[in-house]
Amino acid sequence: MIEIEALTKVYGPGQAPAVDDVSLNIPAGTVFGFLGPNGAGKTTTIKMLAGLLTPTSGRARLGGFDVARERSAAMARFGAVLEGSRNVYWSLSAWQNLMYFGRLKGLRKRRTAERARILLTDLGLWERRDDKVGGFSRGMQQKVAIAVALIADPPIVLLDEPTLGLDVEATRTVKERITELARERNTTVLITTHQLDVAQELCDRVAVMRRGRLVADLPTRELLAGFRERDRYEIRVEGAVPPGFDGVTREGVTTIGVRVGDPAEVYDVVERLRAQGAVLESLTQVQPDLEDVFLALVNEDSHVG
Amino acid sequence: MSADVLRAEIGKGLRVQLAHPAGHVITLLISTMMYLGLQFVLGQGELRRDLLPQTLVAIGGYWFLQYAGLVMVADLIEEKRAGTFAQAQMTPAPPWLPMLGRLITAAVFGLAVAAVASLVPMLVAGIAIPPRWEALMPAALLGVNVLAFTFLLASLALVSPMIGALQSLFTSLILLLNGSFLPLSLYPDWLAVVARILPTTLGVEALTQTLFEERTLAEIWRGGTLPWLLLHTLALTVVSGLLFVRNHRRALQEPS
Repeated sequence: MIEIEALTKVYGPGQAPAVDDVSLNIPAGTVFGFLGPNGAGKTTTIKMLAGLLTPTSGRARLGGFDVARERSAAMARFGAVLEGSRNVYWSLSAWQNLMYFGRLKGLRKRRTAERARILLTDLGLWERRDDKVGGFSRGMQQKVAIAVALIADPPIVLLDEPTLGLDVEATRTVKERITELARERNTTVLITTHQLDVAQELCDRVAVMRRGRLVADLPTRELLAGFRERDRYEIRVEGAVPPGFDGVTREGVTTIGVRVGDPAEVYDVVERLRAQGAVLESLTQVQPDLEDVFLALVNEDSHVG
Repeated sequence: MSADVLRAEIGKGLRVQLAHPAGHVITLLISTMMYLGLQFVLGQGELRRDLLPQTLVAIGGYWFLQYAGLVMVADLIEEKRAGTFAQAQMTPAPPWLPMLGRLITAAVFGLAVAAVASLVPMLVAGIAIPPRWEALMPAALLGVNVLAFTFLLASLALVSPMIGALQSLFTSLILLLNGSFLPLSLYPDWLAVVARILPTTLGVEALTQTLFEERTLAEIWRGGTLPWLLLHTLALTVVSGLLFVRNHRRALQEPS
């Protein structure tokens, strides 16, 4: 599990905190989405978890071990793919990369080779294991990076933008792998991503950061449900767009989107439509998706969870 | 675990260097041709056989420094930029251990290149370097001197990628002044003093005194070269170690 307690990072005197008093508790086997706009403090938090940055105050524990005080034990319990970096050596083969990083993580040579064979086979890279990673496609390179993060079979995995720049096929493989890790191996997976559809699909729980602070930390379903009061409705009527309404007509049916503050207002809208002679075909409550929730959270001064 | 990490780091470092061997072969050829060419020009149209052995020892020291620096400093800057350095830092091993692995890789690679590069002029120009047991200690100190300086630059590179420019400046100065073009004994006194401050110069001086002037270690100790070399090497080692500890801590405080 991952425990973060009042974690704060200030880069210099007089500067606003990059991470401000963030506390999180992520149980084992959870796929946790860590979201936020650029500059929100996600990567700084990930770097502090990974032992690459020292917190100004607060503490982070990985698998029960303090990253600052019990660094060696904490480092042995996680693997990471960092965003915006190569993560692996392009001039080495996939096999050589895995053998190197496995040994750095403290695995014996035989165990490293065994894990490397399993991972490369699972990720569909076994046939290309002796090719230099520099000659791989972006998706294949990302798969090698993920294999490196998993080489020591860690109970905790940090993935910073794991599907960024990947094609549909590679994205699907990575998503399947993440789900499998959490469900079958009880691995705690922390992912940061700007691809909110990916987060919504994968994450059991989501936290949203804004200007260094957490503004939400809830199970994904609860977070989405919490925004239902701002629901949108979709009204479908037969024929053309009734006067006074905006809608899209396709194959003789007009779809009108309605956003209401109070659900009772929907009845007024329906009455107005009927008064126009419109024949109602359906009325559907449009559920907010994670993108709606995310935008609401990062653009408003709200706090959830 | 420490031995495993060291072996992994050295193996990786050597594989990365040998991934593009053609580049090293070309650089080696250019280096040896440049050395012989410059000696030909300085000898006003001929190779001065009386000066070649001494200058070859000096440029051998320079080549060692240049290639060790390539592994230790240039690659570290590139890895910091690319992200592999951060990935390699996330190990249960203490942070100095992968750095030590890099240093050993730098020593092995630098020594191999310097040996091959020196062999070419020896064969082409028939330069003979007499083997002497007394030369072992100055040679070892020269090696430690070079590696301590390389580690110092690498420690600076932990917090400043701009260190590449400083490295270029120092390696150029060392090439100019350590005796690679002319033996130190032919320099004006003030320039010899300046040259001795730079890494490699004192090591080259001690080495040439034992090899070509057939002096004993006691004699070069009394002459002052050996104590200064020891002091210089010790100072570089201590400073580079302290700088590594300080800059590693600093690198964890702020991104560079």
